[in-house]
Amino acid sequence: MSAKLIVQGLTHHYPDEYTGETVHALDAIDLKVEEGELVTVVGPSGCGKSTLLNILAGLLPYEAGAVSVDGVPIRGPGSDRGVVFQEHAILPWRTVTRNIGHGLEIKNVPKHVREPKVQAFVDLVGLTGFEGKYPHELSGGMKQRCAVARTLCADPAIMLMDEPFAAVDAQTRITLQEELNRIAIATKKTIMFITHSVDEAAFLGDRCFVFSARPGKIKTIVDIDIPRERRNWNDMNADSVFLAARARILKLVREEVADVVEE
Amino acid sequence: MSYVAKPGGASSTKRAPKPSLLSREGLHIFLARWRHSGFAYVFNILLTVVIALTIWSLISSLITNPGRYLPSPFVVALSSVDVFYKGLLPAYYGNTLTRLVLGSILGLSLGVPFGLLLGLNRTVSDMFYPIMNFFQSVSGIAIFPIIMIWWGNSEKTVFIVILYTCFFPIAFNALSGVRGVPLTYVNAALTLGASPFQVVKDVLLPGAMPNIATGTRLGIGFAWRAVIAGEMLVGREGLGWMIFTARSADLTAQIILGMVTIGVTWIILDHYLLRPFERSTIEKWGLVLR
Repeated sequence: MSAKLIVQGLTHHYPDEYTGETVHALDAIDLKVEEGELVTVVGPSGCGKSTLLNILAGLLPYEAGAVSVDGVPIRGPGSDRGVVFQEHAILPWRTVTRNIGHGLEIKNVPKHVREPKVQAFVDLVGLTGFEGKYPHELSGGMKQRCAVARTLCADPAIMLMDEPFAAVDAQTRITLQEELNRIAIATKKTIMFITHSVDEAAFLGDRCFVFSARPGKIKTIVDIDIPRERRNWNDMNADSVFLAARARILKLVREEVADVVEE
Repeated sequence: MSYVAKPGGASSTKRAPKPSLLSREGLHIFLARWRHSGFAYVFNILLTVVIALTIWSLISSLITNPGRYLPSPFVVALSSVDVFYKGLLPAYYGNTLTRLVLGSILGLSLGVPFGLLLGLNRTVSDMFYPIMNFFQSVSGIAIFPIIMIWWGNSEKTVFIVILYTCFFPIAFNALSGVRGVPLTYVNAALTLGASPFQVVKDVLLPGAMPNIATGTRLGIGFAWRAVIAGEMLVGREGLGWMIFTARSADLTAQIILGMVTIGVTWIILDHYLLRPFERSTIEKWGLVLR
């Protein structure tokens, strides 16, 4: 295994838009994500986890440190780093198929090559039969499946996910988590998954980075050593490794929230 | 296991017998079907037109000297036969429509790209926003005098005013449309590897479409008014001119005929050009509710 994503000493300060005061978002972050690994990032609100993701996506410039994917330093957005946003990010004027194929369209992949690939991803995320629908005709869960498929179809080196399931209902969320696990097995993608949910972080992550409150730092890395094939919610609720990991992450996150409240 | 009833299957034999039209339920079924048929839609419109024409005829028959003040629909129809036969209406109508169509096409093809370009940069669009808002509010008729000083009673004057009235609402709306496109859409395209041009083509242009549709509707609507006014003021042959000259000749029927032609033209334009465009874009995409 080789490191897909390397972050060294990443620091990000920015002036607050209204007050002009300096906000310390990230403080000397060091992390590595191995090829084919799914890491989760949890932390209290405002701990800079979304800032980290935006920097990795190339949507935010960073001040100090080094960030590279496959050894190539990050400068601006690029199709080697796919992003699944929280919500409302698939284009309303494109059908499911045309949203999913957008990345290939951008790369000028000819239609006869594009179509079978797109169909494979439509099938992978379970949107078969909805190819010609527009986003407003889909449920929240289906929209996010479409967003995941769109990102995967562009074949990025790493998929960055920014609380992608936060806006869907609890039942759908559990299903989507299990489906993402299945997709991770099927595609062997390297994935960084940001979430508020401790359950989600423990269920999906091979490792979980717990962030401290602002300025964002990695407080602890929790290993969750459960084979992907065994991860489903029926079994996990009685799995001692999972329960222990979840309890540990929850404790770490709550310490941070308590600190913030006491301030 | 399929839940869809198969024809001739068990479920079709269980269906209740068709209720008689005379029963309460039968009447309700009949009314529901009627309401949702295209026939009811056309019927209701025809009904409104017939009522309007009846009221018009009634008033016309009650006043003295209707020929001068309000000729009946029948007399107006007769006068239309007359101006058609002489070739006056077709020729004038052609002139007016040509001005409208050329002005609108030019207004759209300049206004949309201009508004989009200004909208690309936040600072630039902030700077231009009030100016564009200013010009879209100064109506075509208000700029006529100065244009006439510049270019006199010429075809150019009419055309410039049409272009002006059409350009600013279209450009202003395209500008505010681009400003309203959610940043996430742009970011999503960028992370798929889109170039700035692809972002404009795939995200900003379709994202601004609800406003562009509004701008187009306003722009062409204003242009249609400006053509008529322009022909009257500058004295160019066309529908507006026909109405204006009919007044001095006391041809009231011809004036009303001109007015009806103006209104009906807009309804046709709206029904066969603007509505289909809106239906196939912003309504299909769920960007507006109707």
